[in-house]
Amino acid sequence: MRIVRPGTALLLSSLAAKELKVRYKRSMLGFAWFLLKPVFSTAVYTVVFTRIIRFGGEIEHYSLFLLTGLLVWNFFASSLNASTTSLLDNTRLIRSIRFPRAVLPAASVAANAVHLLLALLVAEAMLAAFGHPVTPALAALIPAVALLLVMTTGIALALSVWNVYLRDVSQAVEVLLLAWFYTSPVIYPLGAGMLPERAEAVIRWNPVSGALCVVHSVMYEGSWPPSWCWLSLSVWALLLFAGGLAAFKAAEPAVVKEL
Amino acid sequence: MTAPGAVEFRDVRLDYRIFHDRTSSLFEAMSNLFSRRTRSEHLRALDGVSFSIAPGEAVALIGPNGAGKSSTLKLLAGIYGPSSGTVKTAGRIASLLDLGVGFHPELTGLENLYLNGALLGIDRRGMTPLIPGIASFAGLERFLDTPVKFYSSGMFMRLGFSLATAVEPDILLIDEVLAVGDAEFQQKCQDRIYGFRGTGRTIVFVSHDPAAVKRLCDRAIWLGDGRIMMDGPVQDVLAAYSAAPRVGTGAIATAPREWGTREVRFDSVAVTDSAGTPVASFEPGGSIRVSAEVSTSLPGGVDGLVFGFSLHRPDGERVIGTNNLELNEPLISFGSRARLVLEIDLETLEPGNYLLGLALTDPSRGRDYHWQDYFYPVSLSGGRVDPPLKLRKATWKTIERS
Repeated sequence: MRIVRPGTALLLSSLAAKELKVRYKRSMLGFAWFLLKPVFSTAVYTVVFTRIIRFGGEIEHYSLFLLTGLLVWNFFASSLNASTTSLLDNTRLIRSIRFPRAVLPAASVAANAVHLLLALLVAEAMLAAFGHPVTPALAALIPAVALLLVMTTGIALALSVWNVYLRDVSQAVEVLLLAWFYTSPVIYPLGAGMLPERAEAVIRWNPVSGALCVVHSVMYEGSWPPSWCWLSLSVWALLLFAGGLAAFKAAEPAVVKEL
Repeated sequence: MTAPGAVEFRDVRLDYRIFHDRTSSLFEAMSNLFSRRTRSEHLRALDGVSFSIAPGEAVALIGPNGAGKSSTLKLLAGIYGPSSGTVKTAGRIASLLDLGVGFHPELTGLENLYLNGALLGIDRRGMTPLIPGIASFAGLERFLDTPVKFYSSGMFMRLGFSLATAVEPDILLIDEVLAVGDAEFQQKCQDRIYGFRGTGRTIVFVSHDPAAVKRLCDRAIWLGDGRIMMDGPVQDVLAAYSAAPRVGTGAIATAPREWGTREVRFDSVAVTDSAGTPVASFEPGGSIRVSAEVSTSLPGGVDGLVFGFSLHRPDGERVIGTNNLELNEPLISFGSRARLVLEIDLETLEPGNYLLGLALTDPSRGRDYHWQDYFYPVSLSGGRVDPPLKLRKATWKTIERS
């Protein structure tokens, strides 16, 4: 019997499925957490930004606006946190079996992507229920999510190899993500005159702004996203994926011996 | 070279970077950068190794520790790439280097088999027909739906072995004698490995056991210091190897070294006789007592700790290496500090100087906490017989310290 080596796609899906299965073993609410977490953080931010710091009050259905952005942000942040340690977590495996190691960080991103897709569906249903327009612009989510996945995978690849050399990377990622969160249009919208013009111009070129802008436009507002979103998102996806892959390929042979 | 099972090494070099003190935090990296100290050096594990193996040959790799045997296996398995030269292998490779390594404790036996199949490049359709054979060979048909964390270590290894050998490899890589499960299962393993011979499959076997090498292999390659010392029929190479004096690199190879994450660490170790008096030489019949004060920085303490020891000859040849897990003694658990007492009862068949090494590990999590290799010199007196040492008994005891 001869078995073909079907390669990366099979391995990627198997490892992502494993990550999801293992995460929800012995958990009563299980898979429901994919939605419970963003809903809970939405509730917290809504109270903070409409009752304590009066800031989000002028945005209609502020909590729904928050939720759409948080889904994208949570995907981005938890993918990077999980993938940074993915090579170190699998040291024995890497040292005893030959397989394309890039699938380890990529599988962490893929597992989180499953959450993102399901959560976006539920969020869209909620938005529709609250009277937000459901338009053909929703189709823009498909290329936008694909570009977001590509970009996140690129960053994940680089972080996972760097973390083998320097364990500080995983700590630094957590801290940087906190700063990154507040400089991303998650809790505030762009183009609504809430920020100084110069700050807004800078934040538009934040790598996650493009994806956030697309979900806000097509899900919350029901309109086709402005072109700068697409430009920012595609340029960053291309640059970060190419850069991350190059960093991974360059470091891989040495990293395997380092583990 | 297209026939499945063929292997070719041409002028292969393999370098490792060795850190004297691993720089794993940014501060250290920065301070090293500014002081322009390089704390790493290159170690040449293989230096110009060339050989080829025809399909169906059974070849043993022999030589002292650090000669490059494991590096050769890792190159064959494709885990490392050579620093220079070429390594070519044709066909499917199964490695018995680390059994059950991809198994996740929370997943069932069956789920793990599919996941491992994916790692070996076999999809669900290819894997499904193999499952009944794997389960029955391992004797685990009734336990396939049980998460493997409930398996005993024997069951775990049996499943790993059955899977690794079920994929019909063209090249089988074996590291050391396989001590898998009980005597009956070990016999089954041996039968299966011997069954691979004469079916056109290639076997590469690394072992320190001349009897096992002679039984399985027709040809042996003797590696010393990263080079091929001799390559030929197994009897000739074994004879030359055992006649060769064990000198040369010994002094470097057995310099004491200490490594590990130190999340669980030896704070102090006393090597004494059974009365508790610190001594370095032991009379026949006297046991070696190791009293180790250990502590851990892990929150919640340690559970299932493995405490191992080894005895090496000064030339670096390992004579004994075992631990409480292997000997089915209880695993160690404690809160933050404890004294661990290890009694080693030896039958000394070759008197002389030995180096005692200790290790704290957790193989279930793949953690190496603290290793002290070649660390405590002990000299043993007694009558001269071969083999030089035989382990009679070893016991472990934990006295919890608040």
